Amino acid sequence: MDISSKGDDTVVDITTSEKVVELLNQASLISTDEKLTTLKQVQELIINKDPSLLDNFLDEIIAFQTDKSIEVKKFVIGFIEEACKRDNELLVRLIANLNMLLKDESVNVVKKAILTLTQLYKVTLQWLVRSKTLSEMQEACWDLITQMKGEVLALLDSDNDGVRTHSIKFTESLIITLSPRTPDSDVPKRQEGDISLDKVPKDHSYIHYGTLCEEGKSALEKLLKFMVHPAISSINLTTALGSLATIARQRPMFMSEVVQAYETLHANLPPTLAKSQVSSVRKNLKLHLVAVLKHPCSVEFQGQISILLLDLGMPQTEITRYTPAPREPRKRPRYEQYTEGKKVKMEPVLEDDEDKEEPAPLAAPKPVAVPAAQSALDLTAEFLRPLLTPENVANLVLISMVYLPDVMPASFQATYTPVESAGTDAQIKHLARLMATQMTAAGIGPGLEQSKAKEDEALKEEQNKEDSDGKDILIKRKAPPVMLGQAISVVGGYPEKPSTAEAPAAPKRLPEPILPSAQTKLMGASGRKKVFRLSDVVQPLSDSQNEKLTSSAVKRILHSEKEIAQSGMSHIRVKLLSRLVTQFEGMMKEDVLQFILEDIRSRSDLAFSLLYQEYNTYLSQLPSGLLDSYDQCLFTLLSGLQEKPEQRDGLFTKLVLEAPIITESALEVIRRYCEDESRVYLGMTTLKELIVKRPSRQFQYLHVLLDLSSHEKEKVRTTALAFLKRMYEKDHLRDYIEKFALNYLQLLVHPNPPSLLFGADKDTEVAAPWTEETVRQCLFLYLSLLPLNHRLVHELASVYTEAIADIKRSVLRAIEQPIRGMGMNSPELLLLVENCPKGAETLVTRCLHILTDKVPPSPELVERVRDLYHKRVPDVRFLIPVINGLEKNEVIQALPKLIKLNPIVVKEVFNRLLGTQHSEGSSSVAPLTPGDLLIALHNIDSVKCDMKSIIKATNLCFAEKNVYTSEVLAVVMQQLMEQNPLPMLLMRTVIQSLTMYPRLGGFVMNILSRLIVKQVWKYPKVWEGFVKCCQRTKPQSYSVLLQLPPAQLTSVFERCPEMRAPLLQHVLSFTPHQQAHIPSSIMAVLEAHKKPEPSPVEKEMEHPPVIEETHFAVQKEVEMPVQQEPVVIKDDEEPMEQGESEPVILEETGESISQVDSERDIDTPPPPPETPEESMEESHPETSDQEPVKEAESRVPSSLTVFKTQ
Amino acid sequence: MPSHPLRVAVVCSSNQNRSMEAHSILSKRGFEVRSFGTGTHVKLPGPAPDKPNVYDFKTTYEQMYNDLVRKDKELYTQNGILHMLDRNKRIKSKPERFQQCKDKFDLVVTCEERVYDQVLEDLNSREQETMQPVHVINVDIQDNHEEATLGAFLICELCQCIQHTDDMENEIDELLQEFEDKSNRPFLHTVCFY
Repeated sequence: MDISSKGDDTVVDITTSEKVVELLNQASLISTDEKLTTLKQVQELIINKDPSLLDNFLDEIIAFQTDKSIEVKKFVIGFIEEACKRDNELLVRLIANLNMLLKDESVNVVKKAILTLTQLYKVTLQWLVRSKTLSEMQEACWDLITQMKGEVLALLDSDNDGVRTHSIKFTESLIITLSPRTPDSDVPKRQEGDISLDKVPKDHSYIHYGTLCEEGKSALEKLLKFMVHPAISSINLTTALGSLATIARQRPMFMSEVVQAYETLHANLPPTLAKSQVSSVRKNLKLHLVAVLKHPCSVEFQGQISILLLDLGMPQTEITRYTPAPREPRKRPRYEQYTEGKKVKMEPVLEDDEDKEEPAPLAAPKPVAVPAAQSALDLTAEFLRPLLTPENVANLVLISMVYLPDVMPASFQATYTPVESAGTDAQIKHLARLMATQMTAAGIGPGLEQSKAKEDEALKEEQNKEDSDGKDILIKRKAPPVMLGQAISVVGGYPEKPSTAEAPAAPKRLPEPILPSAQTKLMGASGRKKVFRLSDVVQPLSDSQNEKLTSSAVKRILHSEKEIAQSGMSHIRVKLLSRLVTQFEGMMKEDVLQFILEDIRSRSDLAFSLLYQEYNTYLSQLPSGLLDSYDQCLFTLLSGLQEKPEQRDGLFTKLVLEAPIITESALEVIRRYCEDESRVYLGMTTLKELIVKRPSRQFQYLHVLLDLSSHEKEKVRTTALAFLKRMYEKDHLRDYIEKFALNYLQLLVHPNPPSLLFGADKDTEVAAPWTEETVRQCLFLYLSLLPLNHRLVHELASVYTEAIADIKRSVLRAIEQPIRGMGMNSPELLLLVENCPKGAETLVTRCLHILTDKVPPSPELVERVRDLYHKRVPDVRFLIPVINGLEKNEVIQALPKLIKLNPIVVKEVFNRLLGTQHSEGSSSVAPLTPGDLLIALHNIDSVKCDMKSIIKATNLCFAEKNVYTSEVLAVVMQQLMEQNPLPMLLMRTVIQSLTMYPRLGGFVMNILSRLIVKQVWKYPKVWEGFVKCCQRTKPQSYSVLLQLPPAQLTSVFERCPEMRAPLLQHVLSFTPHQQAHIPSSIMAVLEAHKKPEPSPVEKEMEHPPVIEETHFAVQKEVEMPVQQEPVVIKDDEEPMEQGESEPVILEETGESISQVDSERDIDTPPPPPETPEESMEESHPETSDQEPVKEAESRVPSSLTVFKTQ
Repeated sequence: MPSHPLRVAVVCSSNQNRSMEAHSILSKRGFEVRSFGTGTHVKLPGPAPDKPNVYDFKTTYEQMYNDLVRKDKELYTQNGILHMLDRNKRIKSKPERFQQCKDKFDLVVTCEERVYDQVLEDLNSREQETMQPVHVINVDIQDNHEEATLGAFLICELCQCIQHTDDMENEIDELLQEFEDKSNRPFLHTVCFY
């Protein structure tokens, strides 16, 4: 069993230890938050769970004190405290580390270190007092902790409020530790076991009872002195008030000092406190006074305390409630208690010893039973009391009326309570005390003189005592004489003798901190140095020291900003600083500038003062003076401002505008500022102000702005351009801006972009090609000026003619906005069109397009273009933009040329002509109606233009279904049909119209009938189309076919033999009466089914004779299409193919018509030919009404044979 | 910015309205916050000014809620008490008394002067141990819903400013002065030690 349990133990041991190792390894790698958790686990393990491991891992944990994180450092401090409390021996090893951390640069670490030192001071003292063995290490440890104690006390003067607060608390604890506990001490339970002076033996080898006692008293004095500082912060004051209350309760022997301090404070609240702070402090004062009052030893101060409490507004009843019942020993003076207490607790031998050694200081105050300061106050109060007669008081009041401030101070307002018991004895006594407090504080009054005399006396005696004390030590320390000097040096309070002679021996004894690396030795060396500093002080200061002192002096002025502001002397500080800094070279200037930049908003006055001072210095050395220093100052300030992320108050602008001179580098900063997209507006406003307000260098500033106008960031550029445009209106800047813009424009003439465009940093001799960006860079400024000054447009034209194609293209893209801005009425632009330099045709065309893109062309513009076209450059493309401004015949004249252009261009032309381009198309009156256009196309002389282009052009028309409605097409067909000769493309158009609008069927039948009248077969092309059309429109077309003469009907059947049978069928379905109307020749053609079908070749062969037969006068012209026949056929196929996409529609409509037919058949059986007429009436009543009816009336007796014209 | 998050306590009399409103807002803004009352009892308005509903600090918000629903649902709905309790119980189960809490804070904000006095008295009567400072600030807030909301925002802003200071103790004085000017109300401020 034993063995196994032992085994378990070791297992546990190993795991704990291993776990710690593991945790520590983790800790060095992870983030701060996790690190803290891990380290806390380690602390728990090695301090509480298994303290035997503490020693093993001490160094590893302490190593974390060099961690960057404040929290980790604070953890290390906490660890030191816990470790030392657990194992006092560790103090020797760890105290030096605490000392290092006490000097850390982070105030939070320092504060934590102070808290820990507060605890460890007591721990150390207790440990050393109890320790039986004497070791050098221990003594060294005590020395160091004493030194640290001194340092923390000195921190009462720290710059940092929080550090001072902590220092006060340390002082409080120190005072309590370094004074004896007495039976009437009010000791908190937790601190029952704490060390206090009464537990310190008087024969300790290096801890001296007397010294400690003195240190305690001097700490109290320090604290009291600290409290009356006029500029004490409210928090420090509150802290100190609380500390005093604690001291009074735990060490009633100091109660008199405490109460007196409260009294003084009450009468002299620091003037720096704000109103609410005054009430906070008074509240605290009340609270602590009550706490003190509750203590049984307060009896002899009850009078003073209750007057104070009354003044603070506490009702008498409440005060009485807190007042303890008087106790027996109340009459005894406190010092007796002090000694008596000691007698009871301490070894009597020591008591005697002390009495022997310190007879004078104890004996002297005893008769008075109060310390010197108290007596001075009391004496003065006693002296004043009989003098306060009503008459004197009235005089005093009258005299002091003169000195009353205009406004009631906040502290007075807050503290004032009406005097309730005026004129009573108690009140006079109180008044006397109040005045005595003031007088004593001011250093006057009989009491003070008397006590001074006494103090001098006491001092002399003290010196005697010290001598004897020293001797005493000498005697005591004889045993280890080597240690003598060291022992003395420890006692910080001793000023003179000790240091010099034996000092070099001291460093050895100071404990060295545990350091993670090999630095240990280095630190030892530096520790040595420390001591040598003492003697260094005596030597003349070296240059570096001199400098250091000067700069730290300046720094003090610099950092006393708040304090000086409170005294209202800020302007003097500012003046002083700027003078000092400009006079001396060195780091100071940077420090000050840095300081300004930390909070430039509130420190701008300093900034300006410094700047002016620098300039002043420059002026005073003028002939030879350099601007460097000024420049650096301005540059640093501006750069600082520029780098600040955000500022709304225009400080940058202010600085720029108020600086006496803007140097090159400053201008560079301004430029950078302007380049910042988020501040570009502010930056350029500043720049503009500079240009306007500093005429002597305005071109320099203007140049910066001009440079920015081709900046790569769009926002910067557009802002710069906007500013420049406004400045362009100013006459004196106009030329410069214009010249700059034109210079840039001229760059486009170069074959490669010049280096200027890339900034200085890029080597551009490498022939980089022009890019869109570089071209635009050259154009930005120019183009934004163009709308302001139209004359400039000619420059562009001349550059354009010289530039390479790439640039031309970019220019054409870039000019749209500005040209539109100029408008078509610009005389300069019209002039450009008129002149149109050679090579600039494309530019002019582009301009024309831009101008007429949205609005119809003005007559002036049309006139210029027409001139240009007719007289100089007969390029039809010029006409396109102004086409709607031309006369009808002009358009028709140009049409053949226009439709030969690139299809896209043709499309555009048609868009313009048909008004499908402009949104507000109605405003432009097109020279041609859509119908006119289509007719004009049909009439184009095929000599001037090939058929293919014409067909394509008509196709474009048909594509515009919105424009070419069935009505428009009907009119077109009507007009075309009436022409003589028939246009070649007539039937094509008819078929296409029918394909688009099947309901035109009836109308088309009408056309076909009339074509028969016009002997359509004489025009081979048209005839071909005619047959095709009939083929498509069967059975509607049957009645038309029946109207053909027999020869032509035969020709039809030759072309389409499959038509014959259905037609015959159709005729056979007639009533006999109707059949009778069919001529027999026709019937013969219809029934000649046995006739052999002609071969396709024969069919082809038949055509020319037909043409020959017709004997047209225009035979030659007709030959042209024949020659072109293959082409035409091919083209003809196109619409057919297109049409194939719509056969369904065609068939459907056909079906619907036949359906209608069959329905009619049921009602009354009218003959089929009637149907087309009716359906036509439905769709085209206006066009088709008249003629067929007329014809029907005139020629046909039967209503059934309407179309039977032949 | 202090290296660790500010530990804040908000204290009013009954830990119902003002402190809870601030608790709610502060925790939404990511503060490590707790709330307390300093009174001996938890008091809620009753049917008449002289007839408040009195509970002890052990009663949960839930229980109070149910109790009031039982007593007069309409009245307590109408004066917003039920709504408030409903909000509270979603933050924590029951009111806490400041004097009973031994946890340490960096900042204690009180909602009226009487509470401030009680907090100070309590803190000063505790035995000092670590000497760690705690700042106590009083922001006067009237005990009604609207003022509680306004006050909570003020407290929140104050806490945020304090949280953002580099060195809280060194700057708090000035900060409070600024806040006094801005909000036009005085703040009592003191420091106590644990």
